[in-house]
Amino acid sequence: MIVAEQKPMAEIKELVAPYKKVLILGCGTCVKTCFAGGEDEVAVMASALRLAFKVDGKEIHVEEQTVERQCEDEFIQESAPAIARNEAVLSLACGAGVQAMARRFKSTPLLPGVNTTFIGVLEKPGLFTEECSGCGDCKLAVFGGICPFTRCAKKLLNGPCGGSQNGKCEVSAETDCAWHLIIERLTALGQMDNLRTYIPPKNWRASLAAGPRRLFREDHVI
Amino acid sequence: MRNGSKVKVTVFHCINVFSEGDSRLAAKGENVELKFVRLPCSSLVKDVFLLRAFEAGADAVVVLVCPEGACRYVEGNLRAKKRVQWVRSLLDEIGMDGNRLALFNLPPGDSSDAKPIIQKVLAQIGTTPQAELSDRPPAGQA
Repeated sequence: MIVAEQKPMAEIKELVAPYKKVLILGCGTCVKTCFAGGEDEVAVMASALRLAFKVDGKEIHVEEQTVERQCEDEFIQESAPAIARNEAVLSLACGAGVQAMARRFKSTPLLPGVNTTFIGVLEKPGLFTEECSGCGDCKLAVFGGICPFTRCAKKLLNGPCGGSQNGKCEVSAETDCAWHLIIERLTALGQMDNLRTYIPPKNWRASLAAGPRRLFREDHVI
Repeated sequence: MRNGSKVKVTVFHCINVFSEGDSRLAAKGENVELKFVRLPCSSLVKDVFLLRAFEAGADAVVVLVCPEGACRYVEGNLRAKKRVQWVRSLLDEIGMDGNRLALFNLPPGDSSDAKPIIQKVLAQIGTTPQAELSDRPPAGQA
């Protein structure tokens, strides 16, 4: 999932300050799962903003809505009536959701309420960790399903650096050594021979190095 | 505090701590308007409930939970504690003073401890009831 975290209230207040009627729009997919922008977070944000503006002696009308996914036009369509009733939208979706909204609703200011941080998983209650860099050239089959591009601090592709201790990364003792995990996993799978395969330097042209990426599926176009 | 106005306190409490009737007696005679929200377990005190209590005019919100290690549902009071801590920090962030929200552990069935707890919270916020917040002039005005 895409992991995000809410911006500080001071920043959100500053974004919202020019407007008197604001729609807080949540997204019911990734940001809901990471407690940044689902229905519950929308309700808390709305209440906190109302209280914050009361403290400042200002008035604000806040409307709440959450759609299933802000990054798809067919889902954001249902927010059109609420958007028409308000001067601006504080979106608690990821950056893709905010931009999809901006593309769809051209005359409404779109304000981001969260910082989109990474593609990750819920490792344990309360802890989300980055697992994928979206590099565009996946080699997880070689590494037993553990990505050294993302999870090794040095992004080493042909074996460990030798600096890890007790399975932890020497860069951060809180982080598992990706290569420790890869070797454990390949051992369990009986695939240690994978490590005899030389992995050439990463071709970053498939990543953001060549600008925004596009995926075109001609078979879906009539 | 504005003259003549009662201080409003909303009390969220686990029904395993004490009954509503007991707590009313504990606050009898005070210049305080108490509102009780009974919960089957304190873990149900969601963050938005706490904020909406303030929106509804509460000057202070008190959450009363079972002692740690004595929750009938194992960790409900611990979850409530974490949530209260988070909402306190949010209140501080928006300039409302996190001290308006407090959580206390009470022995089950002993409502006599509720009164000093509520008085303690009132003492903390006594000079700045929420009612005065809305009386402030808009930002930028004298």
